[in-house]
Amino acid sequence: MRTSTRASGASPLMYVTLTLVVLLSIAPLYFMLVMASRANSEILSVPPPLLPGDQLAGNIERVFANEDVQFGRALLNTLLVASVATVAVVLTSALAGFAFAKLRFRGRHGLLVFVVATMMVPVQLGLIPLYMLMTEVGLAGGLASVTLPFLVSGFGVFFMRQYASQAIPDELIEAARVDGASTVRIFWSVVLPALRPAAAVLGLLTFMERWNDFLWPYISLDFNHPTVQVALSRLSGGYYTDQALVMAGTLMGTLPLVVVFILFGRQIVGGIMEGGVKS
Amino acid sequence: MTAVVFEKATRRFPGQDRPAVDALDLHIDDGEFLVLVGPSGCGKSTTLRMLAGLEDVDDGRILIGDRDVTRRPPKERDIAMVFQNYALYPHMTVAENMGFALRIAGTRKAEIRRRVAEAAEILGLTDYLDRKPKALSGGQRQRVAMGRAIVRSPQVFLMDEPLSNLDAKLRVQTRTQIAALQRRLGTTTVYVTHDQVEAMTMGDRVAVLKDGVLQQVASPRELYDRPVNLFVAGFMGSPAMNLLDLPLVDGGVRFGSTVLPVPREVRDAAPGPTVVVGLRPENLAVGGEGMAVRVDVVEELGSDAFVYGRADGIDEPLVARDDGRRPPAKGARVRLRVLDADAVHHFDPVSGRRLGR
Ligand SMILES: Nc1ncnc2c1ncn2[C@@H]1O[C@H](COP(=O)(O)OP(=O)(O)OP(=O)(O)O)[C@@H](O)[C@H]1O
Ligand SMILES: [Mg+2]
Repeated sequence: MRTSTRASGASPLMYVTLTLVVLLSIAPLYFMLVMASRANSEILSVPPPLLPGDQLAGNIERVFANEDVQFGRALLNTLLVASVATVAVVLTSALAGFAFAKLRFRGRHGLLVFVVATMMVPVQLGLIPLYMLMTEVGLAGGLASVTLPFLVSGFGVFFMRQYASQAIPDELIEAARVDGASTVRIFWSVVLPALRPAAAVLGLLTFMERWNDFLWPYISLDFNHPTVQVALSRLSGGYYTDQALVMAGTLMGTLPLVVVFILFGRQIVGGIMEGGVKS
Repeated sequence: MTAVVFEKATRRFPGQDRPAVDALDLHIDDGEFLVLVGPSGCGKSTTLRMLAGLEDVDDGRILIGDRDVTRRPPKERDIAMVFQNYALYPHMTVAENMGFALRIAGTRKAEIRRRVAEAAEILGLTDYLDRKPKALSGGQRQRVAMGRAIVRSPQVFLMDEPLSNLDAKLRVQTRTQIAALQRRLGTTTVYVTHDQVEAMTMGDRVAVLKDGVLQQVASPRELYDRPVNLFVAGFMGSPAMNLLDLPLVDGGVRFGSTVLPVPREVRDAAPGPTVVVGLRPENLAVGGEGMAVRVDVVEELGSDAFVYGRADGIDEPLVARDDGRRPPAKGARVRLRVLDADAVHHFDPVSGRRLGR
């Protein structure tokens, strides 16, 4: 593959293509905004409206006011669940990934195969045993039931291991050993900073996955512990669906993700830049 | 007092039939600058890493200042190491890199700052203390790596080819600086290189390794003047020593039109009808009576010229040092004469061992 040596010399065709891709990506978000800012009757009219209306604040208010949905609580719940899972997954994956990539211990190959194998079990297959397990330990219904099973991730461990083995030279760890650092100290002071770009990517993916998870929370959580996706499903329940209401809720449920993406995105781009220049 | 002692130290890597380091016996004195030299793969790095505690010792012992450290982890050995690729912590500034070991040891902040500043002063890094390694040149990174070692005032410095990533000129400069710094600090130092010029110029003593086996430890002068075997004779010196397997005749060995006298004890010790004669290029001159050669190549270095020629019936080219102003032309037929018969080396053609004194 040839890469252009001039950074500034993208062709007009490239611009057209990229513009198209951007428009296609933004379209659903835009129409979500259009629908969320209209009355339900306007949405169903033909032709449908193409510009945002003036009902946004009212629709959002109705979303939060709906007692059956408990949208405000759902937002907080999801924020808590996704944050805890993200921090835990990043930390455990970094620890295990470092160990698999850089430490010699008995059975490391077998263990790694086992970890990778856990990625191959489909989620749906685990739902029933998981439900039985949660009921048994008395956690079914509460937020713990949608948090605890996701504190570690086979994919995360594998991902961090791959990154650590190519991004951290052995000499760096040996230098730290000679400098007198313990393995734990090496992890905190040398390995973790080096893993930052990968940790940002993994953190973002994990947060999104937890935020958007629907099936398991829907099965497991009771009425008083909704997450965002569960709450959204309640918005559209009933005899007739108020599309404006659903879209206003969806908009509220999507915004936090956008914020998180902006925060982590900087790290990721920074990481890519750092990796590009050999130090 | 920090002498370093290897006692029959051996390292076998799993799945390899030959040990990477084979029963190494080596005594390094307090304050000495010892250079480990040898061709690629001879076990220099492994030896150094055994001393650092980064590689297991399968047999034998290693002592640092009377203390048996064979099974001790690196942090209990009080050593500092400079790696070939420097291994600087990329996310730490120069000052943090240099102070890291002290921070781990729990040294007070003010003290760390003082010692880092002092080391930076010595190495000319004062202006770069707040930079990250990324923003430094190769030479500056090399000095940070040195700084990281000297800040700790360890018992022993270990350096694994610390100059190999520098360009030729900077390498020569840094070579002198490191040697001078070591003299000044008086810290016992083990220095690995595959460059025999570095070995000759820097070391108090030089240890030559081949295939994991120690060949000779001696001062650079001794190594050059009295190599114990063919390997050391051929390895040290550039261009390399001429080594010719020549027949013994009455009064010595036949060298072209002349007979080179061979000392009595060499003749007595020689196992067969020939001996290997070692002639440094500076002990051979163009003209006079001696070996007839056809000139292949002339390397002109300004003050000197090295004349490479081939003699009939001898596979290896011979090299002689000649006056740089009037070297013979390529293709010319000349004779090479021996200047000093006393400075000729003799080796056993079978075992390769040195014969005579
Ligand atoms: N981790 C290892 N596993 C197996 N064999 C190894 C390992 N490290 C080194 N060796 C082998 O041990 C021998 C000595 O290696 P070592 O790195 O000490 O050589 P060296 O003298 O430092 O060479 P160079 O000048 O190329 O750095 C080599 O044959 C090498 O292949
Ligand atoms: Mg080496």
